[in-house]
Amino acid sequence: MKTTPAHIVREYGPFDDKPGVHGVSFDGKQLWFASGDHVNAVDPDSGRLRRSLAVQAHAGTAFDGRYLYQIADSRIQKIDPDTGAVLSSIPTPEGGGAGLTWAEGSLWIGQHRARKIHRLDPETGAILNTIESKRFVTGVTWLNGELWHATWENEQSDLRQVDPRTGDVLQSVEMPPGVLVSGLESDGADRFFCGGGGSGKIRVVRRPE
Amino acid sequence: MDSMITAAALSLARGDPLGALDRVALRDDAPALALRGIAMAQLGDLARARQLVRRAARAFGAKEAVARARCLLAEAEIALAVRDLDPCAVLLADAHRTLDEHGDHANAAHARYLDIRRLLLMGRLDDAEQRLAALDPAGMPRALRAAHELTAAGIAMRRMRSQAARAALARAGAHARAAGIAALGAEIGWAERLLDAPAARLITPIGARDVLLDEVERLMSSTALVVNGCLHAVHHLALEIPLARRPVLFALVRTLAEAWPQDAPRETLILAAFRIRHPDETDRARLRVEMGRLRTVLRGAASVRATPRGFQLVPRDGHEVAVLARPVDDDHAPVLALLADGEAWSSSALALALGTSQRTIQRSLEALAAAGKIQAFGQGRARRWSMLPLPGFATNLLLPTALGVQ
Repeated sequence: MKTTPAHIVREYGPFDDKPGVHGVSFDGKQLWFASGDHVNAVDPDSGRLRRSLAVQAHAGTAFDGRYLYQIADSRIQKIDPDTGAVLSSIPTPEGGGAGLTWAEGSLWIGQHRARKIHRLDPETGAILNTIESKRFVTGVTWLNGELWHATWENEQSDLRQVDPRTGDVLQSVEMPPGVLVSGLESDGADRFFCGGGGSGKIRVVRRPE
Repeated sequence: MDSMITAAALSLARGDPLGALDRVALRDDAPALALRGIAMAQLGDLARARQLVRRAARAFGAKEAVARARCLLAEAEIALAVRDLDPCAVLLADAHRTLDEHGDHANAAHARYLDIRRLLLMGRLDDAEQRLAALDPAGMPRALRAAHELTAAGIAMRRMRSQAARAALARAGAHARAAGIAALGAEIGWAERLLDAPAARLITPIGARDVLLDEVERLMSSTALVVNGCLHAVHHLALEIPLARRPVLFALVRTLAEAWPQDAPRETLILAAFRIRHPDETDRARLRVEMGRLRTVLRGAASVRATPRGFQLVPRDGHEVAVLARPVDDDHAPVLALLADGEAWSSSALALALGTSQRTIQRSLEALAAAGKIQAFGQGRARRWSMLPLPGFATNLLLPTALGVQ
């Protein structure tokens, strides 16, 4: 397994009155992040806060090309990003969720201390299959067909590429000490957006060559 | 951190412990145990809260050092709330070190404030004031800035500086409102009511009456010679003569001051200082010796003149004399003064705070309980004493900031 140190290329935030970043997503134009009682859009060029939708937002955020998905309590809400309206919701697996991403018609949800990633039916919330991790899972994302997840355990975080069938770790990108990752998203090309939890920051990390 | 933990932590921060419990009540993982503990503390069940945060600390273990230290901090805060002052100090030292090492500055500062409040409860004003002065609240979270001002107000009140206390409480109130923590606001309200309650009894030649702290402060800055029965000291202009460790001299000067401008008879002085009702010649000789000592300590503020029937206090330059006494002036007043904070105290914490033996405190507590002034609840080592009819802990816990949302 290849291990490389994280190359942090940019930081966004912290943003006023948004002390925590619990989940991050990217819709191709703007970054979205969950801050407890709002989902917020950030312009990735200027780093400025563009808008805030008043919806419960306690953990991972995802985008399916049209709608946002946001974990709140024990539900996953489907949100219209234009109006902020909650269109529908499905239950999370038992115990809630930490990270959330959309890929290949499914929602993928990471469970922090359970060290698990589940693939969910986005209509019903039924668990389709489960990947076991060796570490506490926070964010999950897909990047060019690769499944990556963030870990946060023993005051240390890294980003791991895992085999989506076996859960085997293929490579890892280690964050500096004290820099923790609460949510993970990719830009679909070569960068990760990492939620910084209580620091209120979002960090951009380059995907290793 | 997962959604249920975040949602529960946000509920706690909003002061909704039942909402938090709804989300984590059935979970036994470390973060859930910690949040359940804080929710129970907010609900006033401090014994259960303590067990839960202890279990959480064990579940986090040495590998999750920061999370464990935050649990120790929460346990220390609960210990402070139930006045277990010694265990509190140990927990704080442990938590503080870890939090500092790992760069959790807000919680490390919270540990420092708790320790200063512990010193304040023990009456170690100089230590508390020194440590508070070394902290810079600018840039700290609002809740901690409120705690800073509240502590400053507590010190000012005990130093009888009412204006400084009022100003600090006003600043504390503004920070608490901005932080949106209701329990903190309630604690500040309690301190404000304390400031508007009689702080002392003023005894002058024209009679005795209750006075507020403001009037005490005005008196202290006047030219009067003040014999202060609250602090067991004599105060005149810039001169401060502490007599807390010389009870005989204080009893003499207080008796002289209460008789002023008249003289006080020898028998009265001997009764006050030596508790002897029918003095003989050796008692009179002893009185002369003690009067000599009193003259020495009062030098610069007043002189003591012998009269045909006793002694007379003569303040310098013809200044006035006033006596300040505790509002409730009996032998148990110091114990009542501590219980007046509305919290429940153990007898060992009272002994620690007053610097006397536990046996002495026990006698005071039993006498006060027999007089129907205080109540006990709990048995054995868990026994607590309180002025209130029930253990109505108005918990002032800042715990949500201690664990917070990751």
